[in-house]
Amino acid sequence: MSSIITTLYLIVILIFLAFGAAIVFHLLYYKINRHVSGVMSLIYVIGAFLLIVSNFVLFRQVNWEQIFGNFRL
Amino acid sequence: MFGEINFPGQHDNEQVVLFLRRHWFIFFMRLLLVIIAIIGLVLIYVFFNIFGGDFSQSSYYNLLLFAESLGTLFIWNLFFILWIDFYLDAWIVTNERIINISQKGFFNRDISELKLTKIQDVTSEIVGVIPTVLGYGNIYVQTAAEVERFSFYQIPNPNEVKNTIVQLQEKERKSEEIEMGQAIRGEL
Repeated sequence: MSSIITTLYLIVILIFLAFGAAIVFHLLYYKINRHVSGVMSLIYVIGAFLLIVSNFVLFRQVNWEQIFGNFRL
Repeated sequence: MFGEINFPGQHDNEQVVLFLRRHWFIFFMRLLLVIIAIIGLVLIYVFFNIFGGDFSQSSYYNLLLFAESLGTLFIWNLFFILWIDFYLDAWIVTNERIINISQKGFFNRDISELKLTKIQDVTSEIVGVIPTVLGYGNIYVQTAAEVERFSFYQIPNPNEVKNTIVQLQEKERKSEEIEMGQAIRGEL
């Protein structure tokens, strides 16, 4: 697996995590209703974790060498 | 009724009378963006599977699944960004004042307040077919304060809210007059 592809993937995931951190911050810091904020942050974190794990599994299953074989990445 | 509601700078004996957000239809309209994105992902998947021939056996199939999963990640974030924008945008009417909490994207939040006694007049408006059918509209509060106009946008039942604000304002003004009278008579 090419290191360039891995780096690009890491950047994309970092962007996602940055947005995720901002979302959780807003939910927990500016809480108007603690119960709603708590439940929504929990839903967000669990959902994001499951999506990232499944995305990583799918990322590993892609044969990047074969797909970008002609480009010598 | 609004015991769970907290906001920055809340006074000890301050009671929340109304807690208002934009009408659910406004959130639904924004949610359409998420729904369209999900439909787009499904259509792409179906398109490649129907017209791609032996696509599910090729090495590009895993790439498609990965791309769809990546798309889902960002749709997940988009939904929560839209929800936060809706959830943190609020108007609170208490027995003392009106508080306008305005969330504009991330890390951009305005909180302004207006004492009920500074209200000069309150106007409600419902413009358009959908707002009339669903019963949402705007309220404009004219003030004698630094911020001349306080606006509530796309809130449910604007006429009822307007009446409540006017009643609260009259009540607050009367109690202030009584207090002032007592102060003049030296009873306080």
